[in-house]
This record gives sequence, structure tokens and C-alpha cells, in this order.
Amino acid sequence: MSKSVFWWVERALLLLISTIVLFPIAWMFLTAFKRPRDAYSLSLDFSPTLANFATVFADPWNLGDMVLNSVIVATVTVLIAVPCASLAAYSFSRFRVKGRKFLFFLILSTQFIPAVVIVLPFFLMFRSLGLLDTRIALIIVNLAIVTPFVIWMIKGFIDAIPTDSEEAAMIDGASRLRVIRDIVLPMAAPGILTSSIFCFILTWNEFLFALILTRRDAVTLPVGLVSFRTERGDLWELMSAAGVMITVPIFIMALLIQKHFTRGMTAGAVK
Amino acid sequence: MQDRSLSYLLLVPAFLIVLATTLYPLAYSLVTAFREWDLTKQRRPGDFVGLENFGHAFTEPGFQNSLWVTTIFVLTSVALTLVIAMSLALLLRRKGKMHTFTRVILILPFAMSPALIGVSYRFMFNPEFGVIAKGLGAVFPALDGTPWLASPDLAMAILVLTDVWHWAPYMTFMCLGGLASVPRETEEAARIDGASTLRIIFGIVLPQMRGVLLVVAVLKTIFALKMFDQVVTLTGGGPGTSTETLAFFIFNVGFKWYDMGYASALAWILTAIMMLISIWYVRMLLSERKMATA
Repeated sequence: MSKSVFWWVERALLLLISTIVLFPIAWMFLTAFKRPRDAYSLSLDFSPTLANFATVFADPWNLGDMVLNSVIVATVTVLIAVPCASLAAYSFSRFRVKGRKFLFFLILSTQFIPAVVIVLPFFLMFRSLGLLDTRIALIIVNLAIVTPFVIWMIKGFIDAIPTDSEEAAMIDGASRLRVIRDIVLPMAAPGILTSSIFCFILTWNEFLFALILTRRDAVTLPVGLVSFRTERGDLWELMSAAGVMITVPIFIMALLIQKHFTRGMTAGAVK
Repeated sequence: MQDRSLSYLLLVPAFLIVLATTLYPLAYSLVTAFREWDLTKQRRPGDFVGLENFGHAFTEPGFQNSLWVTTIFVLTSVALTLVIAMSLALLLRRKGKMHTFTRVILILPFAMSPALIGVSYRFMFNPEFGVIAKGLGAVFPALDGTPWLASPDLAMAILVLTDVWHWAPYMTFMCLGGLASVPRETEEAARIDGASTLRIIFGIVLPQMRGVLLVVAVLKTIFALKMFDQVVTLTGGGPGTSTETLAFFIFNVGFKWYDMGYASALAWILTAIMMLISIWYVRMLLSERKMATA
């Protein structure tokens, strides 16, 4: 039996969408393995090389330093934001206390503040404190963006956990803190992990803060891209190699949390 | 320990972070917005000048241009994202191997660094060796050699394109989430009655999706108002000032002209615009809920 026209149209559309989404990414990956000469031709017939990666990790680009900066900034931000946000999220999810709504609204509303507003005063403060071009500066500023967002996300996950076993444990005499540690945290662990990965992705890709607050020592990967724009023109094959370094870890993380993706950063908004 | 005090205690660490990293800098920037502070001339904060910095915004062509650029960018990118995300969600609603595959692929653009997206598109639209520029030239010879990013309108179009490429997939997931919560009975009843697919979509599905679409539209508006990274890496605000969005303009005022007072005032104007939109959005959502329960 032949498939209907609609069946074919649908398949063709899906293929077209996947191509539109994948093509720019695939092209960047290809370019990263091309020799400079080949990077400026559209031919797919080239002999792949790892030379670009060797070049970007060597002087004067030192991509390794940027990788290290990115890893440290993103990891420390996650390690500070997620535990603090988890406690707050539990409080917002389980207690009905006066002023709670106002605090929740206050924390959420900071999400509507554009980053450029935050970075101006931080630039001035870090300048007088001598913290410009340090990883600490980046971690502090990233916390501003990431914390409210993670509270929001983890609250969504905790809301979805039934309270029965918590109540039973407390009737048996367990303290609230024990309940949080032994019952809620293990049950919320997948959600907290998902939120941590989202948080890592946001910090890893962050560009504006790093562009303004770093010069040389604390430059992160996204800002490093701009340095491949030289007087000799844009060095596309090197930019692409750096792009691959930025993208691969994040793609792996994104695919790991794929199932929870819909609940992502707008967990509370759709409800 | 009492639950009541514990409930506040648990909030303390997170609240301290928000206080130190958001509320304090906001207060600092509000004070700065009322001062004259040219960083090239003075290290310390200057004199209070009242509303002068805010008044300056209304006479300054750079600000007015950026307001206009931002409006065009927001309207086109929000409209396109909304239409594309909703259409993709309707297409991906069914189950199937290719549907699942496409859904997985759609996660990638959101995970990609916006700065890198800007760089990649700049490469692909290079008129001499960019793969999209050359590809379009091969299919439509009239387009060959078009200076895509050197023409004001086309540069804006490509900026919108990169933004839609980045966000439409993510918003598709939100629309899919909304579709999943829409009951299918009415739809199936209509199908049995012989209603066409288009009629079902416009007459039954879309009206039920109003709440979700509103959320998507407002979130996208907020993201579009903040958009900065791609402007730096794709167009650099050019050609001329044709893609200087508000966020990019504030960045220039602060970190190229070093006029901290004026930049802070502009930053507060942008915040005010975003706050107004979010208040309006909360109101719309609330009235939507009332309609749903009535």
C-alpha cells in the first residue's frame, strides 16, 4: 500500500527542519578540521587535519587557559548556586509563610533585569576593588543571573514530589532537616542534576559579563572567539576549532537532560 | 526547630546572593544614573545632576536609533519565533522515529553559545566564501555577491534569522508542552464530524493554546530586548548603526564613551520597559485564568 501524500510531505518537512538546524553546526565542525586554504573553499573534498586545534592551544591563542577559566567559573557558579537555590526552592515549595509570595516575586523579577544593567555597577565596583579580569568577578556576576533561575527550576521539580512520605516521617518523629536530607534531596536529585546542567550551560555560554569584565587573565571561551578577529582578517578555521571546543561538552550535557528539556527554564511559567 | 523560622532560614543563603549580586548593584546603578560620571575624567563618582542623564536620552539620536532598531528586531523575531515554534510543535506532536529524531536535533541550537552563533553566521554569509551566500548565489544568480552583512536591511534580517534559529526550537518545546495538556476529545469529535485539519487547528487547538502562546510571546520579547551577544559577534552594530540594539547601545555608552551616568540612566530605561511588559503580561495571564474558570 502506498503512503499518502501527506505522509511524504510530513517526512520531507521534518528532514528540512533537521537540515536547517544541523547545517550551521555541521559546517562549523567541518571547518574546524580544514586547512586554512580549504576553509575558504566550499569543497567537501579535503583532507582533514588536527592542526587548527594544535594552533589554538599554542601561543598566542592559549585556548587551554580559556578552557580552564570557563570550567572553573561555570563549576564554581554551579557549586554555589545550586545548594543555596535548592534550600530556598524547598522553602518556597513546602511552607506557606507570610511574605513568602513577595520574596518569591522579588527573586523572580530579577530575571527580567537585563544583564547590561547589572554589569555597569559591577564594572565600577570591581574596578575600585581591583577585581577586574579575575575569575572571582565572573563567578559573582554569573550568580546574579543563575540563582533566581535555578530556584525557579528546582521549585518546579520539588512541587512535583508527593508530600506523603515526608509527612509520615515527621509523624514518626523525624526533624524537618532530616526529612529534607533523607527523603526530599534523594527524590529531587534528578531534578537538581538537570537544573545544575542548565545552570552550567548558561554560565559556560555567558558572553556579556566576560567581555566587559575580563581582558587577558580570566577570558572565557565565548569571548576568546572574538580574539580570532585579527588585522589579517577573521581566522575562520581557528574560530571553528574554538567553537567545537565550546560546543562539544555542552551538546553532550544537553542530550543527557533531553527528557527534562520541556521543564527547562520556564518550568513555572506554563502552569 | 519551628517550621516557621526554618522556612526563613532556608531562604537566607539564596536571598543573600540575590541581595549582593542584584539588588545592591541595582541600587548603585540607580544612584549613578543621577550623577555626572565620565570615567575618562574622574575616578570617583561625580556630582548629582538630577534628571539630566534621563533627559539626554530624549534628544540623543543614538538612543532613538537604538530604540527603533530594538522595536523592529523584537517585533520581527517574536512574530517569526511564535509562528515557527507553533507550526513545528503541531508537526512534531505525533509519534514516530523521525519525529523523535527531529526533537532531539532541536535541542542543539538552544545549547549553543549565542556568541558562537553570531560568529558562525557571519562566516556563512561572507559574500566571497560563505557557504550560504555562495549557495544562494548558485541557486539564484541575481543574489551572487550580495554584501549580506554590509547592507543595513539585510544585516538586520540576518540578525533576526540567527535569533529565530537560536530560540524557535526551544519555544517549540514549550508549545509541545502546551499541546500535551490540551484535551484531545473535542478535536477528535470535530474530526469525526468531518472538519478539515486547518479548521481544527485554527478553530479548536489554537484558542486552547492562547495561554501558552502568550507566555512564549512575552518570554521571547524579554529575551529579544536583552539580546546582545550576536550583535557583537555578527554585525558589531553595523553597518553604520543599523543593528545597534538598546543593550548594545548601552554597552557602547558605558564602555566606549565611558559615560557611566548616562549609561546607567539608559539601563534603567531599558529595565523600565521590560518591567512594563512583564506587568502587562501578568495581567493578561490573570485575566486569561479568570476566563478559563468562568
